[in-house]
Amino acid sequence: MPKVLIPTPLRQYAGQNDAVVVEGATVGEALTRLTTAHPDLRRQLYSDEGKLRSFVNVYVNDEDIRYLKKDQTPLSSSDVVSIVPSIAGGSALPQQPPSPGLSNEEILRYSRHLIMPEVGMEGQLKLKQARVLLIGTGGLGAPLGLYLAAAGVGTIGLVDFDVVDFTNLQRQVIHGTKDVGRKKLDSAADRMADINPLIKIVKHDTLLSSENALDILKDYDIVVDGTDNFPTRYLVNDACVLLGKPNVYGSIFRFEGQCTVFAYPGGPCYRCLYPEPPPPGLVPSCAEGGVLGILPGTIGVMQATEAVKLILGKGEPLVGRLVLFDALAMRFRELKLRKNPECPVCGDHPTITKLIDYQEFCGIPQHEPPPAPGKKEWEIDPVEVKAKIDRGDRFVFIDVREPHEYQICKIPGTILIPLGDLPKRVNELNSADEIVAHCKSGMRSGKAVDFLRQAGFKKVKNMVGGILAWSDKVDRSVPKY
Amino acid sequence: MLKIEAAPWADMVQHAQATYPNECVGVMLGASGDGAKNVQIALRMENVNPGSQRERYQLDSRDLLAADAEARRRGLTLIGIYHSHPDCDAYFSQTDLKNSCPWYSFVVLSIRSGRFDHANSWLPDAEQTQAEKEPLIVENSHA
Repeated sequence: MPKVLIPTPLRQYAGQNDAVVVEGATVGEALTRLTTAHPDLRRQLYSDEGKLRSFVNVYVNDEDIRYLKKDQTPLSSSDVVSIVPSIAGGSALPQQPPSPGLSNEEILRYSRHLIMPEVGMEGQLKLKQARVLLIGTGGLGAPLGLYLAAAGVGTIGLVDFDVVDFTNLQRQVIHGTKDVGRKKLDSAADRMADINPLIKIVKHDTLLSSENALDILKDYDIVVDGTDNFPTRYLVNDACVLLGKPNVYGSIFRFEGQCTVFAYPGGPCYRCLYPEPPPPGLVPSCAEGGVLGILPGTIGVMQATEAVKLILGKGEPLVGRLVLFDALAMRFRELKLRKNPECPVCGDHPTITKLIDYQEFCGIPQHEPPPAPGKKEWEIDPVEVKAKIDRGDRFVFIDVREPHEYQICKIPGTILIPLGDLPKRVNELNSADEIVAHCKSGMRSGKAVDFLRQAGFKKVKNMVGGILAWSDKVDRSVPKY
Repeated sequence: MLKIEAAPWADMVQHAQATYPNECVGVMLGASGDGAKNVQIALRMENVNPGSQRERYQLDSRDLLAADAEARRRGLTLIGIYHSHPDCDAYFSQTDLKNSCPWYSFVVLSIRSGRFDHANSWLPDAEQTQAEKEPLIVENSHA
């Protein structure tokens, strides 16, 4: 029959026994038998409501049953069940300020929370005392800021250095048309204070960096990552792991989004999922690839839900689970994530013990390298292209953007060959012709020029700055997007 | 009442000072009965808190199981857990309370600028809502 080891301080409640042999096909059955025989022991292990006390962990041999089948974990006759409390602590948060409770104004405002037992006065006070940091006040930060403010999260920190732009308004619903040109921090904070003047909003007007991240994050309980670039994601992840703070993660692209909670005690971190960043340029950003304006609403609201659950300590946090959302199919899927024991930052033998240079880690040069010798000869300024057209020079002008971008705006006289189609359509071009390529900003057409040069084209040039520069320098009637 | 013999006490103070400015953690083994507890051995444990350890500690449950097995092997009881508070007092913090267990005495050692300052022993309740200060007697060997 399986054996239950009694922790030495509890022997007095189990007839001074070190170990008790009990019948039981599952852990739940064995513990019930044990504690029925020893009611004093039951009071040590179970609350008055009959639940295993929060600090009690149960192991079967070497495995925590939370990671097996919990109460239903089967037992064989040779199994050894151990009871072990989880112990931690530290000088942090010496005394929470004596809680003043909720004012009548707050009780009225949060009444729909208060009447649910899962929140109640206790939960709403937890929300009031919680300190949550939002990294970014853009697409994801917008719903996060709105809902966390409305929910009564007592202290909300915002990190951003950007200014509201017309292209933001399609999805960043915390900002309005009147805010274009204002700092996103000011715009977001004003809107949040309007929703809920009873909370404290802390503005961090800076670009999060390895130098300032630990200092900013240390004053918060939960970090919510609403950024859209790899260096900052790794930075936020590592800082959260080093400080032991949960990182509520979300990401969006076109019609798809992801959400999970990283760096939760015992759970995986972003590096467990993605040990290395993708090569720069491989994964397009939302500015390059586009995003459905509503999508960050869906994902940001999921992040806000997880943040509130973590604060309340209710429900099942999204730890070790990655939710994938496909808006076009309107489908949610869930992937299991595991903590990687080899993880360089949260594994058993971490090699990253302080913040590193994340730009360099992601392969993004911090300073533009000097142009390769002769590179200039492959480039041409929009003004010069216009002069060639005006002079009537013979040349082929190709646009390597996508067809839907071509529909937004185009330069007259260009031929559309999307970058991805170039290899199979290269035979449409004649290497004897002079060729100029352009795209939106000059990145893709640069790749097109590289490709054509390798294919043997000698007289090919990239129009610097793309159609955006064309709009600035040549023809202001061409819309920018 | 918790009494700590001179040898384990010296070990605990040395451990806390050596771990400064981080927090240390260890367990205390001894004999208990009639409300009196006598610590005879202190065992150093590893602080496995994944983030900064300046104001946090975490004990690996497997290490605690091994320590309990060691107590059993020696015919002793795992009486309590000790940890240090670098550069602050030996209070029982909210963090301590919310991760505590009422089966043990929790000894907190205040270490200031790398030197032992003072210590308290705490008995948390089962609901993790409050901790009572427990009379602490330390045998000092000034030999």
